[in-house]
Amino acid sequence: MNLLVSILCGFLYFLGTSRIGYGLSTATGSPLFYGLILGLVYGKLTEGLIIGATIQLIYIGIINTGGNMPADQSLAGIIAIPIALQTDLSTELAVGLAVPFGVLGVFLDQIRRISNSYWISQAEKHAENLNQRGIFNCAITYPTILLFFITFIPVFIITLVGADTVTFIMDAMPQGIIDGFSVAGGILPALGFAIILLIIGKRELMPYFFIGFFAVAYLGINTMAAAVFGTCVAAIVLFNSINQKKELS
Amino acid sequence: MTSKPADPIKEAEKRALSNKDLFKTFARWYSVVEVSNSYERLQALSFCFALSGSLRKLYKGDDEGYREALKRHIQFYNSEGTFGSMIHGVTLSMEEEKAKGNEITEEVVTGFKTGLMGPIAGIGDTLIWGTLKPIILALACSLALNGVFVGGLIPFLFPLAIVLIGFGMLKSGYLLGKESVMKLMQTGLINNIITSASILGLFMMGALSSTYIKISTPIQFSVMDSDPIVLQDILDQILAGILPLCAVFSIYFYFKYKGQNYNKLIIMLIVISLVTGFFGILSSS
Repeated sequence: MNLLVSILCGFLYFLGTSRIGYGLSTATGSPLFYGLILGLVYGKLTEGLIIGATIQLIYIGIINTGGNMPADQSLAGIIAIPIALQTDLSTELAVGLAVPFGVLGVFLDQIRRISNSYWISQAEKHAENLNQRGIFNCAITYPTILLFFITFIPVFIITLVGADTVTFIMDAMPQGIIDGFSVAGGILPALGFAIILLIIGKRELMPYFFIGFFAVAYLGINTMAAAVFGTCVAAIVLFNSINQKKELS
Repeated sequence: MTSKPADPIKEAEKRALSNKDLFKTFARWYSVVEVSNSYERLQALSFCFALSGSLRKLYKGDDEGYREALKRHIQFYNSEGTFGSMIHGVTLSMEEEKAKGNEITEEVVTGFKTGLMGPIAGIGDTLIWGTLKPIILALACSLALNGVFVGGLIPFLFPLAIVLIGFGMLKSGYLLGKESVMKLMQTGLINNIITSASILGLFMMGALSSTYIKISTPIQFSVMDSDPIVLQDILDQILAGILPLCAVFSIYFYFKYKGQNYNKLIIMLIVISLVTGFFGILSSS
């Protein structure tokens, strides 16, 4: 692959996983954003957006509870999107390529968090010496420099040599395996939704999940319509509970 | 607290930290929340760094007090970053009292932080990460799938919302102080808001599950020469979306009863997908 594109990919992955700015990485590291940028780079904006959105949907519900990352949407996107655009892979094949990297990315994050234990022990010494600058460096500068090497290098290398290898492997891959990966792409969104259910799914509120589910399954409403109806239902419940409290007191 | 603050906004003029100081604290926090996240103490270093500037101002000329404060806030801390900013605000207001020489022990400050970080994480995870984030991403995806390029930029609404809400939380935490925040947490209002947010979140999770989990079965039976019986048609007649629903709840119950080992589960899911896809038991559609 083009050297410049690989450098860009390495940098985009670094940016997307740097976590500088709370929640900013959710945008800068999203396969959607990667799809937009790489689509522009390759002059295939529509394809880029569609592949990016399809990969994004796999990870739409993923949240990092207690800092633990279940899957890395950024690595999945930054490897699969440029290679798919370069070699004209179908969206299903791009998903098949993205999924394994989504798993690998978790290990890169674990390296980062293990190495961060060192900086906090350093920062304690700076706190003792009232060195605000030192704390700043331990909180942001050093972890970020280290992260650059952890993230940039693997992505740079994989995207640089990956396209040829991937074309070779994908050509040799039997249709059955490709079907298998596209099934994985269809099931994996369930992972994120299940995690959110674990967090907010109180038993007495579960009927609302089923209302939303079957509103789409039977009535075929789209996402925006669901958001509108969902907000109205939530508002009704909120106002009722406030009124009830007023009557009680 | 000095006196009963009748009007916290007016009171603000007498406070040690200005709006600018508070914004700087928030900007520091916002920038580094997860950067130095470690297994040992999670967000502790970010918390300490965020407060370091304002603490210096509060403990002006009191190096010993400043040192103690820094060390106090480099201890274990983990909450949700947006709503958690309220804890920073309250902590600063307590440190302000302490710096003035009022009787506030270290245990009170630390106890407040550790006591509140759990419940606040519950609110933040539900509202910000469990509800707002998937809704924004889902809207962005549906635009991008139609080739609309704005879809690729819509995810940036998410960090924007975090900045607006988070700074508001930090500021109100500082101005209201510990007593008011505790009182607010004890009224039912917060609970009502969490419940309504959960309802919206669950409703959306249901809708998104139904829209974006795409599995069906291509299995067909042919009996003699008659038309083949398509299994998926039968399933649809029993209950629309039965397979996606099974997928969500299988994972849900796996996590609930077998612990949250994500790596293991993802690898299991991929193996199951490969096998069922290879043998034509499931397909994505």
